[in-house]
Amino acid sequence: MQTPVTIPVPVLRLPRGPDGFSRGFAPDGRRAPLRPEVPEIQECPIAQESLEFQEQRARAALRERYLRSLLAMVGRQVSFTLHEGVRVAAHFGATDLDVANFYVSQLQTPIGVQAEALLRCSDIISYTFKP
Amino acid sequence: MAMRQTPLTCSGHTRPVVDLAFSGITPYGYFLISACKDGKPMLRQGDTGDWIGTFLGHKGAVWGATLNKDATKAATAAADFTAKVWDAVSGDELMTLAHKHIVKTVDFTQDSNSLLTGGQDKLLRIYDLNKPEAEPKEISGHTSGIKKALWCSEDKQILSADDKTVRLWDHATMTEVKSLNFNMSVSSMEYIPEGEILVITYGRSIAFHSAVSLDPIKSFEAPATINSASLHPEKEFLVAGGEDFKLYKYDYNSGEELESYKGHFGPIHCVRFSPDGELYASGSEDGTLRLWQTVVGKTYGLWKCVLPEEDSGELAKPKIGFPETTEEEIEEIASENSDCIYPSAPDVKA
Repeated sequence: MQTPVTIPVPVLRLPRGPDGFSRGFAPDGRRAPLRPEVPEIQECPIAQESLEFQEQRARAALRERYLRSLLAMVGRQVSFTLHEGVRVAAHFGATDLDVANFYVSQLQTPIGVQAEALLRCSDIISYTFKP
Repeated sequence: MAMRQTPLTCSGHTRPVVDLAFSGITPYGYFLISACKDGKPMLRQGDTGDWIGTFLGHKGAVWGATLNKDATKAATAAADFTAKVWDAVSGDELMTLAHKHIVKTVDFTQDSNSLLTGGQDKLLRIYDLNKPEAEPKEISGHTSGIKKALWCSEDKQILSADDKTVRLWDHATMTEVKSLNFNMSVSSMEYIPEGEILVITYGRSIAFHSAVSLDPIKSFEAPATINSASLHPEKEFLVAGGEDFKLYKYDYNSGEELESYKGHFGPIHCVRFSPDGELYASGSEDGTLRLWQTVVGKTYGLWKCVLPEEDSGELAKPKIGFPETTEEEIEEIASENSDCIYPSAPDVKA
């Protein structure tokens, strides 16, 4: 009796599991419009904030966003644009404290696939990924 | 080219998954909640299985979980003698409803204003969610612990199942209208509003009754003890799973077994079709939920049909494929795809 040749249905990725450190329900998730409006920061009635203070807050917010973007990248497929028009793709693993190096795995290079690698951030012009 | 079912495994729970429920279809898609003996029910996106959040608060195994129609509220029934109502958008606990014994089942009315609960104290309770401190209305009559309680007939009636009986109650008068007796333990019950059909499983039988009269419509026998079954929204198929770890798909009209799948590592406790009927979810003793396609090979959610013309004319090799085998192998393949170069052209949008 011949068993028919079948191929498994391809899958884009596996379902995402818990992040392991929070209970989830991301405030910026798909259903953010349904959340009740909550004032973000309890403002003391200061008449004017110094420019410096505002700038510092903006810097902190941007830094936090960047760090969160790095967290969101973990385990994902990222495409890097390097110097000389070189493009590579890899699974992002981690960065070091100063964001000077990216630890990646399965680095796809024009000369083959490297299981583990360190990408020097100074060599990277840009990178993109889909969350 | 014949396609083979690729189940999507949703991990995260650490103990058996004993109940699961889908919401209705909302502007944000549909959602899935799973009840687990680890006490931490989880909310997931229904079409992908992606984890959204975990409802933290119960101090015992969660035996029942449900979502309201628009997935803005969730309710859970637990062994810590409470039922809890949650905000399903923020994950916050909204109210705790104290009971006198293990709570097994919870169900919202269509307007989400009332919650029905049932459990080991053999009482059905109806809570007004706008007045949670008020005493619930109680319906007594069951002689063994209640396993499942559901609103039916546009919330005008209640269906409840204990070990050996299924009873129909009138909501307004709080009295029993009819009952069915079984000589085997009833393992599950599902209510289909369109067509007023009740799906009951006991032993190896999957039985269909009218939800209005409780009269039998038809029943099928499965090869093994069945713990849960679900009827497709268009009533073309039904799926069932139980003690032999397998999922069975039957043609509802003919009773013919169409497909069966191995995959779980333990008995299947619950199985439900999604509200659009495109997939069904199963929860098992092995602590996982799996999503299965109703039509194998269709592009939907995370399943993407790849046409054979792509590539260099080679016989259709799935670009990102997972053979239907053990979980460990799937994990392995996902992390060391060294031979696969990902497609550059097609949109890889879930």
